[in-house]
Amino acid sequence: MRLLAASLLLANLLFAAAASAVETVPAQVHSDHISVSLLSEHDALVPGTSAWFGLRLQHDAHWHSYWINPGDSGLPTRLTWQLPEGFSAGEIAWPVPKRFNVGELFNFGYDGDVVLPVQIEVPANATGDSAHVEVQAKWLVCQEECIPGKATLGMDLPLRAVSVGSAAADAIDAARHAQAQHGLWKATAKLVDNRIEVTLRGANLGDGQGIDAFAVDSKVIANAAPRVEQRDGAIVLSFAKSDYFTTAPHALHLLVLPPGAPAVDVRAFFPTSS
Amino acid sequence: MTLRLLTLAAACLFAVSAQAVTVGTAAPDFTLPDSNGKAHSLSEYKGKTVVLEWNNPGCPFVQKHYSSGNIPKQQADATGAGVVWLTINSGADGKQGHMDGAGANAFVAQFNAKPSAYLFDGDGKVGHAYGAKTTPHMYIIDGGGVLRYMGGIDSIASSDKEDLGKATQYVPQALAELKAGKAVSVATSQPYGCGVKYGS
Repeated sequence: MRLLAASLLLANLLFAAAASAVETVPAQVHSDHISVSLLSEHDALVPGTSAWFGLRLQHDAHWHSYWINPGDSGLPTRLTWQLPEGFSAGEIAWPVPKRFNVGELFNFGYDGDVVLPVQIEVPANATGDSAHVEVQAKWLVCQEECIPGKATLGMDLPLRAVSVGSAAADAIDAARHAQAQHGLWKATAKLVDNRIEVTLRGANLGDGQGIDAFAVDSKVIANAAPRVEQRDGAIVLSFAKSDYFTTAPHALHLLVLPPGAPAVDVRAFFPTSS
Repeated sequence: MTLRLLTLAAACLFAVSAQAVTVGTAAPDFTLPDSNGKAHSLSEYKGKTVVLEWNNPGCPFVQKHYSSGNIPKQQADATGAGVVWLTINSGADGKQGHMDGAGANAFVAQFNAKPSAYLFDGDGKVGHAYGAKTTPHMYIIDGGGVLRYMGGIDSIASSDKEDLGKATQYVPQALAELKAGKAVSVATSQPYGCGVKYGS
């Protein structure tokens, strides 16, 4: 039985090797507890414009992968693009993640069906009938135990003067709009003993009940939910300092999640003089 | 001298912290049984540098650093130079990586690993005292019982062996600096890996 499994695996590997030799990289792979696919928002690429792509992660029930700050354990999903000359890919526009607590460890990531959008610039001087877009994706998928995975995904798209939305357009559009809002609130940060206090001011802050916040950067605050209080018309979020804190950064980059409202991207500035 | 004063000042600043452990302060003592039933206390190694390594043989990050030979080599180099290397498993009964003594000895033999001892912390008390979050998660304690390093095994958070060549290995770097009487240049880093499989 084990021999059969091994020979099937070998056959798959040989098939995969043969497939890559003729440059037909799949657009989707099924791996342990996750399916991963490459999506394009449009049916063609238009020279001189930017185009949205997405890595779709479909997790088995109870399994999750990670945000740019994975939290106490885990690893963020990473993408390495192989693009035609002159093309360039941006960073992942991370959708707002969820909090996952396993025991006393705090993590941030995604479950269910999620798309990580990436913008690709198509140069004005792109020539030819089509372009091959390829990405190597690496992820870690965990329930309590974790399984690392990687895949190379690709697709050929025609180069044309106009394009129309593809079947994946809605999914990518939804992911692009699942981003935190910027610039809504003013925030400052300060060290108070072994804690870091972030003071938020602005419209529609409410009373702070049920508010949560995740640090985009690691090594500043611990990943547990903050203590929240109202003080002089502001909302103060008090976090334990990260165990790995060394010095305060210029600003702490946070996502603030008010209950029942869209997340807000906040930069909480530390005092400039020390 | 100035550096030492600064280090002391930093230690005082951190002493008010409620964190599990802090670099520059005394590491908590503990006594744990090893894979052969012998008890080991941190305090019995006073005068020696001690490395603590949190371990779970089922974790892919631990497997990266063992099957590549990275951790076994660090263990061999450290223990060959008189350092005590204690590998600690805080996996609770029924969780991934929980083992008996024979299982731990087989794991050590499989990878030709060279820890001074493989310790069991099934109730997680020592892991909690140190704030161990991931496997691997590394700590270095000097001969005076002071914590000198806490954090990741290296500088590239990944489960891929191919990243090892580019990564800075923090434990050998800190051990060399301590041996040379220098300040530890990277004394904390963000650890990466699987979560420690504590009981609930």
